[in-house]
This record gives sequence, C-alpha cells and structure tokens, in this order.
Amino acid sequence: MSMAPAAVQAGRRTAPRPPAMMIARRAVNRLTLPVLLLLPALIIIAGLVGYPLVRTVYLSFTDTGLGELIYGGSTWVGLENFREVFADEHLRASLVNTVVFGTACVVGTMVLGFAVALLLNQRLKGNLFFGVAVLLPWAVPALAASAIWKWLFDARYGFVNWALVNLGFEGFADYAWFAGRWSAFVAIFITVVWQSFPFVALALLAGLQTIPKEMLQAAAVDGAGAWQRFRLVTLPLLRPIVAVLVIFSTIWDFKIFDQIYVMAAGVPDRSADTAAVAAYREGFALSHYGLGSAVAVVLFLILLAFSLVYVKLIGREGELG
Amino acid sequence: MRWVLKRGWMYAAMALVALFALFPIYWIVITSLKPRSEIYTRTPDLWPSDPQWDQYPRVLGEGHVGRALMNSLIVASGTMVICLLVSAGAAYVLARYRVRITRILLILVLMTQMFPLVVLVIPLFVTMRKAGLLGTYWSLIITYLAFSVPLAIWVMRGFVMSIPEELEHAARIDGATRIGAMWRVVLPLAAPGLAVTAVLSFLEGWKEFLLALTFINSEERKTTPLVLQTFVGRGDTDWGAVMATSVLYTLPVAVVFVLARKHLMTARTAGAVKG
Repeated sequence: MSMAPAAVQAGRRTAPRPPAMMIARRAVNRLTLPVLLLLPALIIIAGLVGYPLVRTVYLSFTDTGLGELIYGGSTWVGLENFREVFADEHLRASLVNTVVFGTACVVGTMVLGFAVALLLNQRLKGNLFFGVAVLLPWAVPALAASAIWKWLFDARYGFVNWALVNLGFEGFADYAWFAGRWSAFVAIFITVVWQSFPFVALALLAGLQTIPKEMLQAAAVDGAGAWQRFRLVTLPLLRPIVAVLVIFSTIWDFKIFDQIYVMAAGVPDRSADTAAVAAYREGFALSHYGLGSAVAVVLFLILLAFSLVYVKLIGREGELG
Repeated sequence: MRWVLKRGWMYAAMALVALFALFPIYWIVITSLKPRSEIYTRTPDLWPSDPQWDQYPRVLGEGHVGRALMNSLIVASGTMVICLLVSAGAAYVLARYRVRITRILLILVLMTQMFPLVVLVIPLFVTMRKAGLLGTYWSLIITYLAFSVPLAIWVMRGFVMSIPEELEHAARIDGATRIGAMWRVVLPLAAPGLAVTAVLSFLEGWKEFLLALTFINSEERKTTPLVLQTFVGRGDTDWGAVMATSVLYTLPVAVVFVLARKHLMTARTAGAVKG
C-alpha cells in the first residue's frame, strides 16, 4: 500500500499505478499457503490446550462441583480455593511432595545418567550391548514400569525384600514398602530413575562425543588428572546440554502422574500423593473441580517458571533460528 | 594387573548398570512363565523350573488383554495418522518461513510440551461430555492430538530444516509450484523424518494413561494401561497375569526402540522432549 505514493513522488505519473487491490491480492496469495498449512495445527493447539487452560484458570476461582461442571451456575469465590490449597494439610503436603520428590528424582537421574554416559564414552568391549541394555527401560511404558516395580517391591513375594534379607538385612523380611510415605517414595524414586536415566545418559553421550579429543589430550599433557579434565574441560563444554536436561527432567518429574497414581494408591492417608495426583483426585474422585483446578494451576505456575527459563536458554543458543 | 586396575572397575560399574537396567525386564519375563506356585513363594527362583506359556493365551482371552491391546492399537494409530496430516504442513511452514511470528509460534509449540495434562483434563472432560464423545475412541484420539501435534511439529521441523532449500528453488525454476516442490522434493527427502515422527506420535497414544482413565467408562473400550491399572489396583493381584500383560504391552515399543534407536535419539534431542 505504501508503494503507491512513493511511485507518485518519483514523478512516474504516467506509469500505471499498481492498484492497491492487486498488491493486497498478491499478499493474500503469498500468505494463503502458509496460513492454510498452519491453520489445522493452530486450531488444535488453541482448542485443546489454550481453551482448556483458560477454562481451568477460570474454574480455579469458582466453587464448581459436579452439578455446576455439567449444568453451569458456579459462583465466583475469588482466591478462596488458593487459600485452601495452602491451608489444607493434604494438599499442602502434596505440593511439598512434588518439590522434594521431584528434585530427588532429577538429582538421581542426572547423576546416574552422567555416570553411565561417561562409562559408555569409554568405548569398552561390549559397548553395543551396554547401549541397548541401557536403552530398554526407556521403552517400557510408565504403567508397565509401575506394575513391574510394584511386584519387585511386593512385601511377601517381592524380589527386593528377598534379596535384602539374603544380603543380611533381616529387618526387610515382609517389609511393606507402600505402607509408609518415605519408603513408598524410595520405591517410586527407583522406578522413576530407572525409566528416565536412559534418555539423560544417551543425550549426554551424544554431547560427550562432540568434544574434540585433542582438547582432552592437551589438558592431559598439561598435567591435568582425570577429575580435573572432567571438571575443567568436559563439564564446561557440556553446560548447555546439561542445563537443558536438568530443566526438562525437572518439568517431567514435577508433573509425573502415572507412577504415583498407581504405586502410591495404597499409601495410608494418601500421604505420598504429588500435586498432579492430588489435583486429579480432588476433581474426579471428590467432585471438587474448583479446588482441583486451583491445585493444577499452582503446579502449572511452578512448571511455567521452569519452561520460561528453558525457552530463554535455547533462545540464547540460537536454536530457534 | 594394571589393566584390571585401570579398566576393570569400569567393566564392573557397567555390569552393575546393565543389571539395574535389565533385571526388572528379565524378572517380568520369567514371572510370566512361572507356574503359580513358583510366583507366590518366599524363595523366588531366578529361573522357572518348567517355563509355561499358558499365561499368555489366558490373559489374551479371559483377561481381555487382547481387546485392550486392540483398543490401544486403534487409538494410537488414529492419533498417528491425524497427527501426521496436521503437523507436516505446519512443520514445513515453521521451518521455511522466517518471520517474527514463526518464533512466537515455535515457543508456543514448545511450551505446550511442558503442560501437566492434569491442568487440561477437567475442561476436556466437559467438552467431550457435551460432544457426546465420552467413552469413545474419538475422545482419546482427539485429545491425544493436544500433545502429539506440538511434538510432531517440533521434530519434523528439524528434519525439514536439514533439507537444503536450494533443491526447492531448483524445482521451482524448473516450473514447479511451491506445492509441487513440496510434494516432489521435500516430502520424499523428509520420509525418514516422517517415519520417526509417526513412531513418536504412535507411542504417545500407546502409552497415555491419564486421559484414558478419565474418558473411558466401559470395559470394552479400556486401553492396555487401564487394564494394567485395574489388575494392580486389586487387593489380590494376579501377578502372573500382570507380568504377561506388561510383556505384551512393552514388546512392540522395545522392538521399535532397539531398531530405531539412532533416529529416535536424534529426534528426541532435537526436540529435547522425552516420553
């Protein structure tokens, strides 16, 4: 549109003025294809993620129960639900569980993942076998993994108790792992780490393989020991990928649902529930949809903070182009 | 002796890790082959005295696991097909058009990967109920698109970006339209990327539990994770059946993972998304 006056000013009055209509049409033509291609995906994201998100935030300010959820007519209660989230013992505990248990899982996963990546990078004999062995737990769906470990940690017939007793820990005969909050967390922690260390290990291995051998050799020539080489050469070079993996593990372990829902179901007073499970239960089991939404919103805000850090981080790395 | 000191401990550590990774998988397989008397014993054997396969036909038949696997297959395939159709074009546009809005859209796509599903599930439940879709395959296929489409867009965009744009320019100079160039040049070259994306979106549907738990209200439509949860949730769990079901449920995924591990790793690290 702005081209027309420019042409006039240039004194080319005799030249046919490009009609505004045509320019507009050309722009529309150029944009039609990308817009058409983007539209279905955008509709899906807006409809299935955007709308429900806004709706949940709205619900978290209302006293919606089952009736109101289906027929409408809920009343606005302001921040009442959020006050309740932090006042209610069970819900507050679920938030604490999320942070403590989630952080423990992230640390466990990262430490084991890093150790395995370094081992795989040594190119030992049988590396292919180790690589596949380490990959397999990642392939096990969460529900199957929960079932497997629940069986391994079974009080009477479980392998873990049998092995512990045979190793001399007599106290573990018939030890009920899922009868207490902390012992249940130990079992679930092992399940989660078992499932998530493969990804971290293989991603870090890919990172390790990009480090030029010359740099490590040069450091060795300068007299750096194995630990110094790791701390002063390897770690700084891997920092970006480590940061991304930490953030991703955090998001993943904080929102974990399946394993907790299945494995923590029998823990007395539901004291091992995390925020995701508590939000779900508050809604669908107790019909407190407003309160459940408030728990979900709090969890969402925690994760949003991590997501923003992540987006900033990869934005800086220039991966978004 | 020096070798033992220098490398030996690494082999020992690696063996320990392999044991940790593989033992649970080994244990489900042999538990599924043990007769009842050897499962419910306080001195478990590391090897079944007399491996029996009858657990498998039993769960597939009366345990309704066969039907559940079929339900999972239908839902996961439906998700995969629609997801690919919807995301391929979007991934192409986000890879090729570099304008400010592209960046915003990409961040949006990425953020959707980080949402806890529990934030979305209540409104989705209401919508599905209003639409009369509760308890149907469609309720799952449609809602699974919420997280499989962003993942697919992100992974496929990486693949499209690795295809040189000059090839498309060349095709267009030779008279192809933009769509023609996409169809004849980009699509064939992006085939491996499409395959990886297909696998990933299939697995999203295969593994999903939370939404299935919420929407499915009849025995006939239960997907495999729901059946497993019912088994484990019971007071008197039939562990032989649970283990046989877990083996059947995991086997296809494990095969795909081992065969396609290089590609999966590239795709997953590109998106930095894990399942």
